[in-house]
Amino acid sequence: MKRYRCTICGYDYDPAVGDPSHGIALGTPFEDLPGDWVCPVCGADKTLFHALAEPGLPEETPVSAAIDAQPAAISDAEKAAILSNLARGYQKQFRADEAALFTQLADYYVTRIGHEGDVDSFRAALKDDLSGGYAAAFEAARKSSDRGALRALTWGEKVSRIQDSVLGRWADKGDSSFEDTKVFVCDACGFIFLGQTPPDICPVCKVPAFKFNEVKRGA
Amino acid sequence: MRAVRNIRLCTKDCLCLYVCPTGATNTENGQIDWDKCLDACRACVDACPSGAICKVPHNYPPQQPKTDAVISAMNRLSRSKGKQRQAARAMQAQGNSPIARQLGQALEMSVIVTAEDLAREAGYMLPQSSEARAFLEKLLDEEQGAEFPADAARELLNRL
Repeated sequence: MKRYRCTICGYDYDPAVGDPSHGIALGTPFEDLPGDWVCPVCGADKTLFHALAEPGLPEETPVSAAIDAQPAAISDAEKAAILSNLARGYQKQFRADEAALFTQLADYYVTRIGHEGDVDSFRAALKDDLSGGYAAAFEAARKSSDRGALRALTWGEKVSRIQDSVLGRWADKGDSSFEDTKVFVCDACGFIFLGQTPPDICPVCKVPAFKFNEVKRGA
Repeated sequence: MRAVRNIRLCTKDCLCLYVCPTGATNTENGQIDWDKCLDACRACVDACPSGAICKVPHNYPPQQPKTDAVISAMNRLSRSKGKQRQAARAMQAQGNSPIARQLGQALEMSVIVTAEDLAREAGYMLPQSSEARAFLEKLLDEEQGAEFPADAARELLNRL
């Protein structure tokens, strides 16, 4: 029977072992796991697993290499991200005054970001990233031996998959499948964890649990 | 280099107070007084049993050079993250249930972190870099709304 690997945290589901923590008996094939079964380590759903071709070896995934032309203008959301990132840079240097100035500039652009879009446009943009954008960026970063970019892409691709999985679950099952769960976001990589308490370390970027922020449910 | 204290790690063993030759660690705001901290001294860093103090450089080396291919590929993803943030904000503004708005907020927070990370690895790692300076100058040159905090941009250009 085939083993399956979680694309988020690297956990391997081995039918010979099953998943005793979720009451899955040994000998259960991956295909026979219930639809609401999730990764016992990071909470990723079944769609985020891929079959291993043979023990220990992930299957080759096709790579598209298209790099598109760069338009001159960048959006308000992109400006906000550059500026809030520079604010974070100063926070890490314990320079609160300069960080506040960058935050002030970032906030100006945040107020200009529109509200165009919905779940469908969100998932369409994620699909664009996951079916081509990340693959092209990985290839460019590998050719340039850019280990910083490779690190960011590794985290970002996994987090994008989790975002898509959350949106997909909500589109399919609506509010009811989230009623009993809390929602946490990792402040270092953006990983979204659904559950009662965040994992001891982030399954994507390995920071400790205190770096997770809980997003509370309002009225 | 200036010493800084990570309050989350500090367990108030207070050996920094004991070893500091200038009293820079003796403050009431939890931080170290940079006017008194000696550039080449690391007595507090070595003495702290919780590893809560480190020295932050005044100057950093430049970020690893970025090729045009990497910048272009990262920018393509950044544009997409911008659209995703808009959609996440729409979920919060128009969501008709508390859970829809909660998920929209979590997704926006998540997208912001990925977008910031892409910006970092597209050349905007350090605030004190020529890239950050050029970016601020470009914003000041652009046509801006009345609310644009131009003073903040100019003050940062002075301090970078």
